[in-house]
Amino acid sequence: MTATPYLILVASLGVLWFASAKMGRGRRWVMPICVAMALFVVWHIAVTAAGSEITPTPLEAGAAFAQLVKSNRLWGDVVASLFRVTAGFFLAVAVGIPLGLVVGWSTKTFEALNPIIQGLRPVSPIAWIPFAILWFGIGDGAGVFLIFLSSFFPIAVGTVAAVQNISLVHQRSAMNFGLKGVELFRRVVLPAAMPQIITSLRIALGVAWLVIVAAEMVGMDSGLGYLINDARNMGKRYDLVAATMIVIGAIGIVLDLMIRRLERFDEVRWGYAKR
Amino acid sequence: MSDEVAQARANENAGSTPGEARPKVVFEGVDKDFDQGGQPLPVLRGVDLTVKEGEFVCLLGPSGCGKSTLLNIAGGFESPTAGRVTIDGDPVNGPDARRVFVFQEYGIFPWASVWDNVALGLRHLGKAEQAAIIQPTIDMVGLQGFERSYPMELSGGMKQRVEVARALAVSPDVIYMDEPFGALDSLTRLQMRAEIVRIWQESQTTILFVTHDVDESIQIAERIVVLSARPGEISDIITVDLDHPRDLGSPEYGRIKNRLFETLGVSHSI
Repeated sequence: MTATPYLILVASLGVLWFASAKMGRGRRWVMPICVAMALFVVWHIAVTAAGSEITPTPLEAGAAFAQLVKSNRLWGDVVASLFRVTAGFFLAVAVGIPLGLVVGWSTKTFEALNPIIQGLRPVSPIAWIPFAILWFGIGDGAGVFLIFLSSFFPIAVGTVAAVQNISLVHQRSAMNFGLKGVELFRRVVLPAAMPQIITSLRIALGVAWLVIVAAEMVGMDSGLGYLINDARNMGKRYDLVAATMIVIGAIGIVLDLMIRRLERFDEVRWGYAKR
Repeated sequence: MSDEVAQARANENAGSTPGEARPKVVFEGVDKDFDQGGQPLPVLRGVDLTVKEGEFVCLLGPSGCGKSTLLNIAGGFESPTAGRVTIDGDPVNGPDARRVFVFQEYGIFPWASVWDNVALGLRHLGKAEQAAIIQPTIDMVGLQGFERSYPMELSGGMKQRVEVARALAVSPDVIYMDEPFGALDSLTRLQMRAEIVRIWQESQTTILFVTHDVDESIQIAERIVVLSARPGEISDIITVDLDHPRDLGSPEYGRIKNRLFETLGVSHSI
């Protein structure tokens, strides 16, 4: 009887629920876990009720995950996706932040470059795939290039907006104390814009993680996106597809938690304070 | 008038009146228009004023009378439509690190510690030289123990003290204050007024202080310059002949207050 594990699960959740009244810090996890488990149960019931043979139940997805881990296939694809995202993202940071600082600060540069940036920005990175493959081949190069494109625009546009938002008092303070050139950027423009830049980094990394999966599904031969495609094409292994989706979600959460740590530095905390 | 002539005149003034403080900040026929949808909006009209070295002058007037604009012109952040401002005989062409502005909305940097904020104007000095100035300045404004704190951890009054310390650290010859205590609660404001008078007496700096608060001006200033409603013109100049600490209940205080209210055209009996 396949439902037995779920009955045990529901029973233990009930116990957890009542025990939670006496829990300390762990208490805030009780509700999310219960809701997640409830969704797994709904998922299971929906699949069995529909009688679908090909859509996996959560248990089947779990088994597929175990199989993926054992096969060593997963780690190679995780590393491939993470490498493309990290390399492309850092390239975008290295170009996007300095460019955004200058474009945001200098009205002339803004007038010259902003229309071009705004014109390129709405083009989905996925649309660049043919050119990416033409220029870089079906390897990491194309992936890194696409991730660069997808993170560059949020970072550059976010940095420009951050610089343009610097308050008049801080600009005047800088003028009053004679700050100029590199010193002006290092002591005022960059730190003043930093909280908003970090927010744009967060958005950019989120977009990058979305785009890499799509890009690997369309035009690459490794990575988590390719794994999803491969699992479907080679024998309709939808259980592997579901397991990979969960892996993608989990890594996405970890990436976001990592980048959010930047918000805790003393130099930027002021930017997130409740007003 | 060329710079040399102006300088010569300033020197002459200094020489011809021994024992009198020499002119520091001089406004000559200052007009200012803002652009309002293509139409000039007159903000200041014919302001002539001489602030003497080491003097504490309040610019008092109703909201929107152009008193902050006048201060911004002196600070070099805006230029007059007509007339000019000179300091020590030299025309003001832009902001200058020797004359420091204290803003109403905190101009200190929230991304830097108290220490680093005060160090802003001393960045060209060595670490030891910086410390020799920063620590006494922080002590002077009563912030010892908060050197490593960030502005978001401080109260409004303490933030304003940091900004005053940042200004004092460079030993400026003029400090411009634009309603610096406007955002503080009334008790902190009283305390800060006493502090700024004490600091002024210790540092001998020329202070131009903008306020719309009649009591504030009588409590702190040596001279009160009253501006009319827009376009701002000087409608009265009152010398406050009271020694610090000032007795807020003295007849002279009441007399000045009545005169100010009369000039401003408001009744203060409610």
